[in-house]
Amino acid sequence: METIANITINGLATGMLIFLLAAGLTLIFGLMDVLNFAHGALFLWGAYAGIWAYTTTGSFLAGILAALVIGMVLGYLLERFIIKPVYGNHIQQLLITLGAMLVLSEVVKVFWGPNILQAQAPLWLQGSWEIGGLYLIKYRLFIIAVGLIVFLGLLFLLNRTKIGLIVRAGVMDKEMVQSLGINIRKVFLFVFMLGAAMAGLAGVLFGPYSGVIYAEIGLEYGILAFIVVVIGGMGSVLGSMVAAIIVGLLGAYAGYYAPDIALAVNFLIMLAVLIFKPSGIMGMKEAVR
Amino acid sequence: MKSLQKLSRFKLTLLVLAIGLAIFPFVSDSRTALIMLTQIFIFAVFAMSYDILLGYTGIVSFGHAMFFGIGAYTVAICLKMFGSTMPAFFIAIVLTLIITGIVSYLVGILTLRLKSHFFAMLTLAVSSLFLVTAEKWRSLTMGNDGFTFVVPELFRDRVSFYLIALVLLVGTYIFLDRFTQSPMGKVLQAIRENEPRVESLGFKVMHYKVIANVVAGMVAGLAGILYAMSLRFVNTAVLSVELSLDVLLITIIGGVGTLFGSVVGAAIIELARHGLMDLAKVHWIFERWVILFGIIFILVVMFFPKGIVGTTKHWWDKRQYKKKEKLRKEMEAGAVKDTFS
Repeated sequence: METIANITINGLATGMLIFLLAAGLTLIFGLMDVLNFAHGALFLWGAYAGIWAYTTTGSFLAGILAALVIGMVLGYLLERFIIKPVYGNHIQQLLITLGAMLVLSEVVKVFWGPNILQAQAPLWLQGSWEIGGLYLIKYRLFIIAVGLIVFLGLLFLLNRTKIGLIVRAGVMDKEMVQSLGINIRKVFLFVFMLGAAMAGLAGVLFGPYSGVIYAEIGLEYGILAFIVVVIGGMGSVLGSMVAAIIVGLLGAYAGYYAPDIALAVNFLIMLAVLIFKPSGIMGMKEAVR
Repeated sequence: MKSLQKLSRFKLTLLVLAIGLAIFPFVSDSRTALIMLTQIFIFAVFAMSYDILLGYTGIVSFGHAMFFGIGAYTVAICLKMFGSTMPAFFIAIVLTLIITGIVSYLVGILTLRLKSHFFAMLTLAVSSLFLVTAEKWRSLTMGNDGFTFVVPELFRDRVSFYLIALVLLVGTYIFLDRFTQSPMGKVLQAIRENEPRVESLGFKVMHYKVIANVVAGMVAGLAGILYAMSLRFVNTAVLSVELSLDVLLITIIGGVGTLFGSVVGAAIIELARHGLMDLAKVHWIFERWVILFGIIFILVVMFFPKGIVGTTKHWWDKRQYKKKEKLRKEMEAGAVKDTFS
């Protein structure tokens, strides 16, 4: 019983981390319809820059701040120079962001070297509480809390504020919003930077969670984020949350009970979802042409 | 002679190039050049098969390495189990064609109805499943470490191996050229340009896309066979996402929608990789040559969406057209003068 509870908590934490990563992509891919393959690179940069700031200053909050800032700056640069010329063309978006992904992952190695970096949770998040055989690792609870805050914040932003209204309207009919005198380009740039900052945040939180970071996590987790967005359904923040938790929990259970298929679990879920309900669990947009 | 006249100037150039490459090993005895050219031929075949999907049908796949890997593993396992004989090699070819045919057909009918980027994700998923299977099925594949095997006598000699790879390249080029020029290939190109319109004309789009997928898969399998034989070693790298991205790069840089572009792309990427790796001794930044690669890739997508060969071809066609127009105008002017004189 305790084992199952412990696995569930671990799975939830992993799911929340994946949600943080996927939430940014939900905004970029799901709402703005931009296939951003460089999302993993933003995550990677968040991890490296954040952990670097954290180890040099000794303050974890400084690390988080650095990750958010680097995410926003890179998001701005990507949107302005790489993605703007190819709005509306999926294949070109895919290819060009793939190129950006290659460049960004490689530049990380120039700055921080190709080797694995160690990362540890700050003192106040180390250790765990034990309640009747149940081990609550502090850092994982912290991730769950951050995930929930971001989730609620996003829902609030999209459903209750004017900017959320504009974004949702802009997704449905860009020209109409433009003709109402709102600069939709600026709104999209803002959304893109927000999504990028969230990828950076996921990156820096990932560091102490896994203990090590290396340049390949960019591609690995970028793909994972896409899987989650596809499972959850395009443009649905709630869908991403549900999908991320499913992926996290199933990954944790499979890791314990059937380690042989643990690696394939995500892909199997996505395969099943795409074959039986191509629009995703909570998807609104039609995936089949 | 008559059949020769029918060939266009471009095809004639290709013929001369192929003959030149065929006599190359008897003129030069540079081993590295020979090995590198062999690699280029193999990757060119792989990239051409990818171009059938990306360039001719407009399908983006992230799992094309799956077929390449199936070929590589099939030949490696066959040669290991049945001994390094020619029959075992031929069995491997037949098996590869059957397996890649079945897999590409199943993947096609299951997933091709999805929008392009969903399809891309699905191919990624399926190929990752293959990768995981290859890693976990240790008794057959030796997992991540891979295994070495002995190739038949004929393939041990670098020159004969080079010639075999060249024959495969030329054969694939001719086959795929015929394929894309056929009515079938024309339908594929129409699908790339405007899918709803092709559908409304009464073509079963799915049917054609599946066929393109099967052809591309089979050819990629053949390339995989030769690749494994050139290394005499196989491991899970032949199934990796990175390889799928590599072939994407090759096709884009060379030029989508032109088979010859894939050959040029393969040559450029292989040469650049070797050249830049050598430069790493000069300055450490060249060790990170992928940066340069990525930048070039971005610039190509932005400014030369047709790739090197596509852009050149476009420019050449335009020039020919202008020449013709000028000639026509001159003749017209001449005709007018004749009537008045």
